[in-house]
Amino acid sequence: MKALLICEYREGKLLDSSYELVAFADRLGADRAMVLIGSEAEAPRVNGTVYLADAAKYGEYNPDLHKRIVLAAVERENPDYVVFVHSSYGWDLAPRVAARLRAGQVSEVVGVVDGKLEVGLCNAKLRRTVTPKSAKTVVTIQAGAFSPAASPQGSPRIERIDLADTASALEFVGYEPAEQKEVDLSRAEVIVSAGRGVGKKENVAVIAALAKAMGGELGASRPVVDAGWVEHSHQVGTTGQSVSPKLYVACGISGAIQHLAGMKKSDFVVAINKDRDAPIGEVADVLVVADVMQFVPALTAKLQK
Amino acid sequence: MFVVVCIKQVPDTTQVQIDPVTNTLVREGIPFIVNPYDTHALEEALRLKDRFGFRVAAISMGPPNAEATLRKALALGVDEAILLSDRAFGGADTLATSNVLAEAIRKLHHQEGVGLVLCGKQTIDGDTAQVGPGIATRLGYTQLTLVDRIDAIDHLRCRIRVRRKLEGRHEVVEAPLPAMLTVVRELNRLRYPAVPMRLASQEAEVKVWNNEVLRLDVNTTGLKGSPTWVSRIFSPEREKGEIIGDGVHDPAGTAKLLIDKLVSKDLLPC
Ligand SMILES: Cc1cc2nc3c(=O)[nH]c(=O)nc-3n(C[C@H](O)[C@H](O)[C@H](O)COP(=O)(O)OP(=O)(O)OC[C@H]3O[C@@H](n4cnc5c(N)ncnc54)[C@H](O)[C@@H]3O)c2cc1C
Ligand SMILES: Cc1cc2nc3c(=O)[nH]c(=O)nc-3n(C[C@H](O)[C@H](O)[C@H](O)COP(=O)(O)OP(=O)(O)OC[C@H]3O[C@@H](n4cnc5c(N)ncnc54)[C@H](O)[C@@H]3O)c2cc1C
Repeated sequence: MKALLICEYREGKLLDSSYELVAFADRLGADRAMVLIGSEAEAPRVNGTVYLADAAKYGEYNPDLHKRIVLAAVERENPDYVVFVHSSYGWDLAPRVAARLRAGQVSEVVGVVDGKLEVGLCNAKLRRTVTPKSAKTVVTIQAGAFSPAASPQGSPRIERIDLADTASALEFVGYEPAEQKEVDLSRAEVIVSAGRGVGKKENVAVIAALAKAMGGELGASRPVVDAGWVEHSHQVGTTGQSVSPKLYVACGISGAIQHLAGMKKSDFVVAINKDRDAPIGEVADVLVVADVMQFVPALTAKLQK
Repeated sequence: MFVVVCIKQVPDTTQVQIDPVTNTLVREGIPFIVNPYDTHALEEALRLKDRFGFRVAAISMGPPNAEATLRKALALGVDEAILLSDRAFGGADTLATSNVLAEAIRKLHHQEGVGLVLCGKQTIDGDTAQVGPGIATRLGYTQLTLVDRIDAIDHLRCRIRVRRKLEGRHEVVEAPLPAMLTVVRELNRLRYPAVPMRLASQEAEVKVWNNEVLRLDVNTTGLKGSPTWVSRIFSPEREKGEIIGDGVHDPAGTAKLLIDKLVSKDLLPC
């Protein structure tokens, strides 16, 4: 069994998520080859074949050209699986490759059970295993679901891929930075979120103060955003941001599936809730049963000491 | 020119329950809603109608009761609503689903020319994010995913310029029409149906196209046309978190316990 792993390269750098692809292939027990559209200096440190195409020539992303490069590598390797990370890159490119190969696709795989692919369902409330029936299968893996081995070591054997024809119907106009006032919670290490349980707009400041004392960012559940207490870019959940901090503190949040879907990848979850049976308790590592407006100021005060 | 919006009826996942005995989804009695992302696709189509005078068709593949979903679209102001429903379409995976939707779009195209297809970024039940791209590939349309702004549509040159939402930045691209866009929530804010419209929608017709109309090879639809199948659905195992201290009567002491715990896990500097 063989897996062709498609690395991701952004702003001149190989992304670490590329090593998560390696971890996935190992879990599957598959031989692997990799594809990088980037630069040789950034080639992944792994043993085995890495197909390299030059990003200076083909762009960091051009769907037409990147698809053809991946297909060229598929032709040479004849893999059973073609694997991407479920990022905006894999999101856009994987289905194009699947359609061309007439392959089944399984999106956002979170695990491997007895060689079957495991995927979340209904905002991660359920899991399912999926069995592909096509000869080749295109897979995207959830970012963070497969942890790579400590420090990658190895020296790749580089094989170059060059396209004769670089015509593309798409015209890249440029990049725009994310809006200034938006916070990018996806990179935060600590997030402290306010839920409806904080009671009113003025109380959000108390949660923000805790976030600051912990060196983190402020997050929020949707009702808090809808009520206009907090700006939308802070919203965590299916219709907000997906986050994966080391520490997530949920203050007065019940733990609805849509919220959980956005924060289930957090390493350690603390919930502060007056209801000991709130569903958030099921994903929390630690639950503090208390009134947020009494407990949070006490916690902040202790931290500031 | 037609703008076609693909909308899916999904169970309201906030209310989805799991049968503790069989460990499967309890489907009875769960209310259905329009997939939330699709409501933004619908809104955008209606804005394009206001701006450019395009006609809007909403299509949905599903069981007969998905008609309710299309009626909501009529209440918002779409010109045509078509339900794609046939026993032969049941049990479809994403490939088989995009086959049926693509065929319906092709048929609409023969009626009056389709310039744009709008889909949600993903659904909240299957959430594979493959149906839109599947349609684009099958029809040979330009695929533009994760769109959070439509900058310009130039009929004469048959070009569209959009902004795509990526990690930490946006990408602006220009591409030829016809195009299939999948949209994110940031694209727009939803309108609410005006009352007269809502009443009118009760009268308006939801067309039903079955496979006698679409004439697809039944080996490419439904369960038969599906290269992936779901073998098992189960709920992930979770253990309840540990309750620490007595936050109600001793906030300060509990705060200390929590800080010690976080420090021991290396989650806070000492
Ligand atoms: C299509 C769709 C998309 C959605 N997307 C999102 C999303 O992206 N993000 C999101 O968060 N939600 C989303 N939701 C909403 C979601 O279903 C829940 O309604 C929401 O997450 C609940 O927010 P909450 O936990 O803050 O409020 P509630 O559910 O009202 O919970 C409040 C909690 O605070 C506790 N509490 C109350 N008072 C106190 C107190 N004084 N001290 C301590 N605890 C207290 C209560 O016990 C309760 O557990 C979405 C819903 C739908 C239908
Ligand atoms: C429990 C469960 C598990 C499943 N697992 C898989 C699986 O692993 N692999 C697989 O291939 N299929 C799977 N399916 C089938 C899949 O959900 C259906 O094929 C579905 O019709 C389309 O996939 P999606 O919901 O993931 O849509 P997505 O690809 O996430 O939808 C994107 C957009 O496409 C449009 N769209 C999607 N479906 C329709 C429709 N019926 N009518 C109109 N527009 C639509 C909407 O605009 C939507 O926003 C599963 C279904 C269920 C219920």
